[in-house]
Amino acid sequence: MSAGVSRGPTDSVPAYYPGCSLDGLGKAYEVTAQQVLRRLGLSLDRIVDYNCCGATEVKNLSQDVSVALPARNLALARSMGRHQVVAACNGCVYSLARANDAVREPATRGRINATLEEGGAPTYDGEASVQHVLEFIHTRAGPERVRAAVRRPLTGLTVAPYYGCLYTRPKRYTGAGRTPGADDPEHPHFLDELLEACGAKVLTDFSAKTICCGGGHALSDLDVAVAFSASILNEARRAGADLVATICPLGQINIENHLDRIRAAYGEEVLRPVVYFTQLMSLAFGASVAEARLRDNFSRPDLFLRSRGFA
Amino acid sequence: MPIVEKSLVTVDRSDRLEMEGIDVSGDWNTFLRSRVQTDLDVRILDWVRSQPQGDTISRCWQCGTCTAGCCLHTDYGLNEFNPRYFIYLAQVGYEEELRKYATTIWRCVSCNKCVERCPKGVKVEEVIHTIGSYLEFTGGAPESPADRFDRAYTENLLRRGVLDEASLFRTYERLEGRTMPAGEMLKMGFQLLRSGRLRTGPLAHRTRGWRQFGNVLREKLKEDERRRRASLSAAGGRGGHSP
Ligand code: SF4
Ligand code: SF4
Repeated sequence: MSAGVSRGPTDSVPAYYPGCSLDGLGKAYEVTAQQVLRRLGLSLDRIVDYNCCGATEVKNLSQDVSVALPARNLALARSMGRHQVVAACNGCVYSLARANDAVREPATRGRINATLEEGGAPTYDGEASVQHVLEFIHTRAGPERVRAAVRRPLTGLTVAPYYGCLYTRPKRYTGAGRTPGADDPEHPHFLDELLEACGAKVLTDFSAKTICCGGGHALSDLDVAVAFSASILNEARRAGADLVATICPLGQINIENHLDRIRAAYGEEVLRPVVYFTQLMSLAFGASVAEARLRDNFSRPDLFLRSRGFA
Repeated sequence: MPIVEKSLVTVDRSDRLEMEGIDVSGDWNTFLRSRVQTDLDVRILDWVRSQPQGDTISRCWQCGTCTAGCCLHTDYGLNEFNPRYFIYLAQVGYEEELRKYATTIWRCVSCNKCVERCPKGVKVEEVIHTIGSYLEFTGGAPESPADRFDRAYTENLLRRGVLDEASLFRTYERLEGRTMPAGEMLKMGFQLLRSGRLRTGPLAHRTRGWRQFGNVLREKLKEDERRRRASLSAAGGRGGHSP
């Protein structure tokens, strides 16, 4: 019933599932993640003809469609000979892992494979494990190798690490807390360790670490989405953070899309620049503010970082 | 109403360990006297349980852990959003009371904290959505903004295999009768274009060989909705639902 205790075989070069966000609004995440991986001597092999994972929406309409969508991607990874799929978006990690849980049941797997075949896709044997890119970097390179790759330590920057909801949740799907290379579901710490290795001061007790940003209802329930995004920024302000680092394009985009509303409701002083963790790592590895795509973010971390002497 | 006797907590694990007729597997259920209530209407429970997203509902033993951590209930302060209570009402079949929450239940943001923490392995978030579907299908709830978004999202991704974020935004805002002020739209468009992130319409990414797969999924989607509604009328769900 539960996600596996062992991760199963690992690949030296796992498959990489970009997902719609990293190919769209989350471009800065995609570009800087590649920069970081390259500097750490890690590589991933892109699933070229991937499709949308269905996020948390499709399952409310149809179980089989919500399993078949991610299963097609996992099947493509298997036909590339891979046992491991790395994704950078929490929503993608969730739905890929959820599909794995569903196809563990033989009857469901049979039905899903019939659908895959009918649609002209390879069938899926259920043997591809799913990992978040943060977990991948942490287990494969770790803080030590990150420290060794730093050219320009992030000294003087206080960072609030924001993991969001679906990075490890629920452990039933992700195997968090009991699978090698998976972070702790209640007290995740991989991001803290990587950013510390980059020389930043990390608020390890940041109280909004794993709260929801309301991103699933970013458009359909504005009051909730704005309130949750604001409380992430407000907790960061209370804790004395200069910046918020995210690991999820949904969180990043949701917070940044609501900046004007947050400003109007809670005041200018709540606002903080919000960045992908890979943008900060890339900066620490020697990339310029422009190369780390820090001008892309609506919350303008480029202006802030330049004021702190980062070129 | 017929008198029904039904145990609310069922043991559905396959790894029971019995010795001389005594369950020694250490499952908490073995310490519980089965709760038997009378005068229940189990039609909602049976329907929810028959759905793959709702099949874990009967494991719930009403501890309230889900509600205690629920970000809508606790952080946002929406007191009437109480997943434990929604499950209770579905279990015992108090449809009238459940319908009072028809305009609240859709607000679950799918953060999965409840699923993470449930000591009984209830997929709370999916169960809550299934109860929401029950209310919608039986005419007990108007189509919610979240339902509209789920449908717009799914239709959008089925078109090309990947999401066209800008077109989803436009479509959904139109559905809700909202328009973004032109100034705001321009500002956002400019920033997205500058960073090469705006790929919409003919520029949007598409999955090769998607047409065939997309068509199969579109059929599945329709078939599933038909099946769900049909199983509801077969189960005798009340309210003015139409197949
Ligand atoms: S946490 Fe689980 S068992 Fe407890 S009330 Fe919620 S669903 Fe029921
Ligand atoms: S998934 Fe929904 S019900 Fe569960 S804790 Fe989050 S908002 Fe509450």
